Amino acid sequence: MTVSVKPLCVAALLLVAACDETPPTASFPESLDAQLRRSIGRWSVVPIAEPPWQDPALVALGRALMFDKILSGNRDISCATCHEPALHATDGLPLAIGTGGTGTGTARTLGPGRSFVPRNAPSLLNSAIGLSYVFWDGRLNRFGQQPPEVSVPLDRSNVIAAQAMMPVLNRREMRGDPGDVDVFGNPNELAQLPDSQPTQIWAAVMQRLLAIPAYDSLFSAAYRDLPQFMLTFGQAANAIAAFQMDALMKTNSPFDHYLRHDDNALSVEEKRGGILFFTRARCVSCHNGPFLGGQSFSNSGAPQLGPGVGQGAPLDLGRGELQNNAGYRFAFRVPPLRNVELTAPYFHNGTFPTLESVVAHYSDVAKSLREFNPATLPAAVQSSYHGDQATIDDILKTLDFQLRTPLQLTETEQHELVAFLKSLTDPRARDLSGLVPASVPSGLPVR
Amino acid sequence: MSPSGLRVVCLAAPLFCLVSPARAQLIPIKTIPIAQGDQFQIFPSNNLGLGGVSIALPDSLGDPFSNPATTARLRASRFFSSPTVYSVSDKAGGGRSLPFAMLTRRANWYGGLALVLQQVDPSRPPQRGFVGVAVDAPLPPGGSPIPGPDLRAHGNQYAFGMIGRSWPGSNLSVGASALWTGLHALDGVDLLYTGSRRVDQSGHAIDFRMGALREWPGERGARSLEAIIVHNRFAATHTVLYADQFWDPGQQRFVAQARTDHNHDQTNTWGAQLDYRMPLAARGWQIGWALTVNRATHPKLPNYDITNVAVIPWDPGRSYAYNLGVGLSKVLGPATFGVDAIYEPIRSYTWADAVAPTATMGGDTIPVGGKTIENWFRFSNAVLRIGAGREIDLEGSPKAIGLQFGLMVRSINYRLQQANNVELARRSLRTGWIEWTPTWGITLRFPELELRYRGRVTKGAGRPGTQSVGVVQGFAVSSGDILAAPSGPLSLIDVNTVTHQISLSLPLH
Repeated sequence: MTVSVKPLCVAALLLVAACDETPPTASFPESLDAQLRRSIGRWSVVPIAEPPWQDPALVALGRALMFDKILSGNRDISCATCHEPALHATDGLPLAIGTGGTGTGTARTLGPGRSFVPRNAPSLLNSAIGLSYVFWDGRLNRFGQQPPEVSVPLDRSNVIAAQAMMPVLNRREMRGDPGDVDVFGNPNELAQLPDSQPTQIWAAVMQRLLAIPAYDSLFSAAYRDLPQFMLTFGQAANAIAAFQMDALMKTNSPFDHYLRHDDNALSVEEKRGGILFFTRARCVSCHNGPFLGGQSFSNSGAPQLGPGVGQGAPLDLGRGELQNNAGYRFAFRVPPLRNVELTAPYFHNGTFPTLESVVAHYSDVAKSLREFNPATLPAAVQSSYHGDQATIDDILKTLDFQLRTPLQLTETEQHELVAFLKSLTDPRARDLSGLVPASVPSGLPVR
Repeated sequence: MSPSGLRVVCLAAPLFCLVSPARAQLIPIKTIPIAQGDQFQIFPSNNLGLGGVSIALPDSLGDPFSNPATTARLRASRFFSSPTVYSVSDKAGGGRSLPFAMLTRRANWYGGLALVLQQVDPSRPPQRGFVGVAVDAPLPPGGSPIPGPDLRAHGNQYAFGMIGRSWPGSNLSVGASALWTGLHALDGVDLLYTGSRRVDQSGHAIDFRMGALREWPGERGARSLEAIIVHNRFAATHTVLYADQFWDPGQQRFVAQARTDHNHDQTNTWGAQLDYRMPLAARGWQIGWALTVNRATHPKLPNYDITNVAVIPWDPGRSYAYNLGVGLSKVLGPATFGVDAIYEPIRSYTWADAVAPTATMGGDTIPVGGKTIENWFRFSNAVLRIGAGREIDLEGSPKAIGLQFGLMVRSINYRLQQANNVELARRSLRTGWIEWTPTWGITLRFPELELRYRGRVTKGAGRPGTQSVGVVQGFAVSSGDILAAPSGPLSLIDVNTVTHQISLSLPLH
């Protein structure tokens, strides 16, 4: 018996060793994918489904209207002038240049006696995606609560179509000033109409359009059941919105592939940047939801630039100009981020030319604002920079609370964040030149 | 819920589940303490109430299903049935099995057949406190309805056959058996795919065994040597349906779209076991040794997705598992005592294949089929089983009552080294837990039949579930009609698995 018990003793020793229960280790680092997917899951970030089918006749009409300068009072600017396909449906300028300007894209210059449009022309890429707010101050939105001065009859749920109705009313953008003559030397009849009569202005634009047989045909094809006398500019705007939905929806980025469960769609650097985006860098606190933004307003400490807007001029109070709420001073719509790589310059007034400069700004907003160098801006707008101490203090007073503590991102982290932002680019959005028609029904030059 | 009731784990999924009712020769490997139910306790076992001791104490009912050669000990043909029911606490699952088995012998030949029908309930997260109601997003226009959770119980079928021959002159017996299993429900699998709508399982397992038994009679009892070779092949497909949320630009709202993943789970195991048993000098005592070796290849392991568990990516892998056991038993008159001590060192290596050329942090590219992640597991498991029983003759009657009590403790400890060849990172983890299984049994012995009841409850493992919280937390910050999603903490919740088995043994004349 004594001999035979030995194995039992050995076994008991082994058991004692093996039964040394170690509690599960909580510090086992997760993989990048586990971290990123967990972070994404908390912020309603989901892929975008395919855009709905659009009637080709409607799209054809919308495309013609988008590129036709006949919509402007002076017949010298089209929607596409500021939303140039070659520049990914924006103009590459900090502040847009409206009617009277010459040239295209970043080479565009102000006309004599004209001033800059107070804000940057946002890219139309994915503008039809279903944003809650459009324009930098969100004055058009899906909730039917329009400020009284924006007396647009919004009887449609499609906010982007409503948006398309606005630039033709704006004197600086497309309509022109009283006394203007068009490119042929004829009086600008649209500019003669009072600002308070948007319906008359739209009707006048429609009169121009329907006087052209090619447009008459295009409208007839797009609205087969509607007699010509019932056509309004709302139908034209709907056609422009259909074109935007058909041609400018670009939501098939590597990040979208990743959202569709392809772990290999993002590089390690992009995943690290994504984790920063969704966690420590706090970008997601504003850039959340399916569009990574577009749903809220924030004062992100952008320097003040340009002629200003409304009562706040020469400053631009953004949403604060519309709402009697101090919390909205200098707050602007948080832009959606898909294809952001292609839509420089950034912020509501284009004060930052690159994604690198944007990320550096967010790393320490107060410092960035105080040390902003206007020499980084194009010469034409440098003089409209408002860098006085009072303005800077005013901006910082209502700075988004998420941005008040410097993030102190390292260079590597900034690099990774930029890499992630670039992963939001749909490759199909890189070259939109195929959208530009050779000619438009009015016969006016396309460019 | 009390903190002790919540088990937060940070690692992996079960490495693989062995699909075999006769598990003695197949060493289970498990990397998280998930309760797996008692689905494969389908054949009768006399020692189940004794904590399952088996090394130095023969199991007159269970041994033929582990080693077909031991059927040679059968003195007469018998019919068995052992209806078995198990349930996981907190309404987290359960199942029931009804086997019919017949073992018979004619001269030196013996054989057996068994058929088992089994029904496994769908596994659910443990139901404690308030359980939220999920609201589905609408479907896109023209989209097909997405099927809801499958709440039906699913059936498995088992067919067992065995044949053997003994040579009385040399006290040698040799037998072979085959068990085929048609699988449609593996307990707990439904819970291993977080966020899924439903999991449809289909697969099969085949278990081939060849066994030999050699006995040397002696004055104090027989010495015996058993040798078994096992080949087990398991293959299953989990068809996992998800309802993914998308943003529909047309409807300008969230919609649900169906996504189906096919996850394959395949493991082939070769195993061998040697079991030696001999009487000791003291009357009634026996000692036994067991040595088991398993080599398992995992051509494909499922990529489970468990909330709050950092699932380690893997595809194929291989494992070497060893089992060194020693047991002691005493059968003296009506009293039975047994104890087993087993040490199980296991080595597993699994990896994830690159499905596309993958750039690493170092600037290299891992080609298709290259290893993106490698995992080295080093297990140091132990099992301790102890049990005691007593038969009580009813005075003046040929009837008898037997009582059994036992305890099985399984300790699982392992160390994981992981190399992420994409991130160029190395991680390590050391973790473990203990599962306790008290057992009990009652036997009613009549001249014409034996009726046994065996029961056991396993504690120490958990199931993924939603922790009940008073306030819904973690809303996605957004405006408009973007839906807010609660994200309460999800973890493993401790559950108990209770098994009841009634076995009936009738001699066939």
